[in-house]
Amino acid sequence: MNTLCQGEMPIDTENDIVMARKSVREAAVTLGFGVTDVTRIVTAASELTRNIYVYAGSGIMRWHSINDSNVGLELVFEDKGPGIIDVKLAMEPGYSTGKGLGMGLPGTKRLMDEMDVLSEIGKGTTIRIRKWLRQ
Amino acid sequence: MPNGTVSVIKIRDILLVTVPSDPDDITVSELQEQVLYAMERHSAKGLILDISTVETVDSFFARTISETVKMVALMGGLSVLSGMRACVAVTTTQLGLTFEQTLTALDVDRAMDMLSVAMDDKGDSA
Amino acid sequence: MTTQNYDKSRSILGSDESFRLLVDSVADYAIIMLDTKGQVASWNAGAEKNLGYRQNEIIGRHFSCFYSSESVNEGLPEKTLKLATENGRYEYEGWRKRQDGSRFWANTLLSPMLDSQGTLIGFAEITRDFSERKNADYARSLIEASLDPLVTIAPDGKITDVNAATESITGRSRIELIGTDFCDYFTDPEKARNGYQQVFRESMVRDYPLELRHANGRVTSVLYNASVYKDEDGAVVGVFAAARDITERKLSEERIKQQSREILELSTPVMQVWQGVVAVPLIGCLDSQRTQQFMERLLDRIVETNSPVALVDIMGVPTIDTQTAQHLIETITAVRLLGAQVVLTGVRPAIAQTLVHLGIDLSGITTRSSMAAGLLVALDLLKLQVVKKSENHRGD
Repeated sequence: MNTLCQGEMPIDTENDIVMARKSVREAAVTLGFGVTDVTRIVTAASELTRNIYVYAGSGIMRWHSINDSNVGLELVFEDKGPGIIDVKLAMEPGYSTGKGLGMGLPGTKRLMDEMDVLSEIGKGTTIRIRKWLRQ
Repeated sequence: MPNGTVSVIKIRDILLVTVPSDPDDITVSELQEQVLYAMERHSAKGLILDISTVETVDSFFARTISETVKMVALMGGLSVLSGMRACVAVTTTQLGLTFEQTLTALDVDRAMDMLSVAMDDKGDSA
Repeated sequence: MTTQNYDKSRSILGSDESFRLLVDSVADYAIIMLDTKGQVASWNAGAEKNLGYRQNEIIGRHFSCFYSSESVNEGLPEKTLKLATENGRYEYEGWRKRQDGSRFWANTLLSPMLDSQGTLIGFAEITRDFSERKNADYARSLIEASLDPLVTIAPDGKITDVNAATESITGRSRIELIGTDFCDYFTDPEKARNGYQQVFRESMVRDYPLELRHANGRVTSVLYNASVYKDEDGAVVGVFAAARDITERKLSEERIKQQSREILELSTPVMQVWQGVVAVPLIGCLDSQRTQQFMERLLDRIVETNSPVALVDIMGVPTIDTQTAQHLIETITAVRLLGAQVVLTGVRPAIAQTLVHLGIDLSGITTRSSMAAGLLVALDLLKLQVVKKSENHRGD
C-alpha cells in the first residue's frame, strides 16, 4: 500500500524521451497499474516530453505517487520555453503549432484522468497530469 | 531488445520489417529511410510492418508510420501494419491516432495472406 | 407576641441551644454523635431523614446497625473509629443501610471529639447521601466503557472531555487532549472544523465522515454523530460527538465494489463462437468506465484467440446516446488497429432511428439486425460457407 516512488530527470536530448518513457513505465508498473493504463501513462509522458524537446529545447520531468484516499501517479513537465499563447485553444482537438499531428494536448488529456496546463508567454509551461489506480 | 535495430527481411517480393519495442525518434526516422531504400533495392511489392513488440505508440511514431505507408504506396507497394498490441490499440485510439489509410493484420501470417491475395488480384488484372 | 418571640430568639442566638437547633435543622446531612464505643449519643433531623430511625429508637444503639451484616462481620464500623482516632479524621464512601433495610451510597466524615485535656470523649459523624454522585460516576463509567470514541467540544473548538476510546484511537491521554483544538487530530482539519460548526448551527449532524490521525500516524476512517448539549437553563454549552470506526465497513464496501466489478465483467462475456470469430453481447447501459473495460477485454480476447472478426451485439442496450455511440466507434477503431473487424449486430429499429436522428455516422461499419445475420457476415469474411448436408449423406 505504501509504495512510494518519485523522481525527476532533465529533458535535453531526443534520447531523454526514451529514458523518460522507461522511468515512467517503471513507476507505473511499481504502483500496480494494469498494462493498458501503463501504456496510456507512458504514451502521455512521451507526448509531453517531446513537446518540451521540440518547443522549449529543454526542461524537466518529475513524477511521484499519490497516496491519499486514492492511489495514483502524478507527472509534472516543466520548461522555460516560449509558452503557449492560448491554453484553451491548445486544448481543442486538432490544434497544433509544430511537427505533431495536432493530437498533442487534447489527446494526452484523454489518456489521463486529470490534466492542468499553466503557461506564461516567454516564461515557460508547466503541465501536470494524473492517473488514478482503478480499483 | 528495447532499442535494438530495425530488422528488414525480404521474403519473395515482400519486406518484413520488425520494429524494436521502444525505439527512439532517430531509430523511427531511420526506419522510414531504410524501408524505402530496401523497397527500391529489392523491387518489393509488399511491406509488413511488424509492431508486435512495440510498447508505446505516440503521435511521432504514428505519423512516421503513416507517412511511410503513403510513401511506399507512391512507390507502388502495399503495406500492412501487423500485430499491434491490445493495450497499444486502446491508447492509440484514445490519443486520436487512427491509421485510417493503413491496412492492419492480427499477425505476420495473416499479413502475408492479405498481401499475397492483394498482389494476385493485381497480377490478374494486369 | 411578636416582640416576645423576637426577644426570645435573640436570647437563644449564640447559645449552645441555638447550635443544637442549627444542627437539628440541617436536613441533608446526618449529623450524629457517637460515644467512644460507637453508640449513638445524639441524632439530628438529617439523620432521621437519611437513615430512617427516630431519635428515641436509635439513641444508645451501636452505629454498626447502619452497615450491612457483611461489613459488620468484616469489622468495618470499628475500623473506621480506629482510623478516625489515629488520623484525627476519616472520610470514606460506601453503602449504608437504612432502618427499612434499603441501601444508599454515603459519604461519611468521622471526626474524634476530644475534651480540653485531649481525652477522647466520642465521635462526630457527618454522613451525606451521595447516590446522585454515584449515578453520575456510573454514567461516566458507561461513557468510558463505550468502544466509540466520545468527545465534548466547547464553542471555540477546544476539547473539554474525552473517553478512553478517544485516548486509544488518537494515541494521546485525556490530559493531553483536553484544552487542545478538536481539529488537530484529523487528516483534514478544515473539514473537522466545518463539522462541529455545523453542529452548533444545526444542533446536530449525522454520519459526518472524517479521518482520525493517531499519534503514530495511523489513520482511522470514522463517521461522527454529534449534537449540542445544554445547561439547566437550556443554553448550549458544547457539542457531544461520538465517532464510529468504519474501517471494517469500508473494507466490506470495498469487497462489494470488487464483487460488482466482477459481476460487470461477467456480464460482458467475450465468447469464441467460431474459429476466428469472437462475439460479445452488450447488456445494460454503457457508461464510460464500462465501455473502457469492455473495450480492453474484447481487444485482449481478439489477440488471444487470433480472431479477425468480432461480433458486437447491442440488442440488450436499452438506449444509445452520442456518448455511447462515440465509445462504440472508438472500440471499433481500436479493433481495426489490431487487424480485426467489428460487425455490429442487434441493431433494433429503435436504435437505428436514434442513430440516424443523432447524426451518428456508422457508414464505415458493417451492421446487421441480428446476431445470426452477423455470423453469416463473419463466415463470409473468413471465406467460409455453410452448406446444408445433402440427402445422400444422411445416415452415413
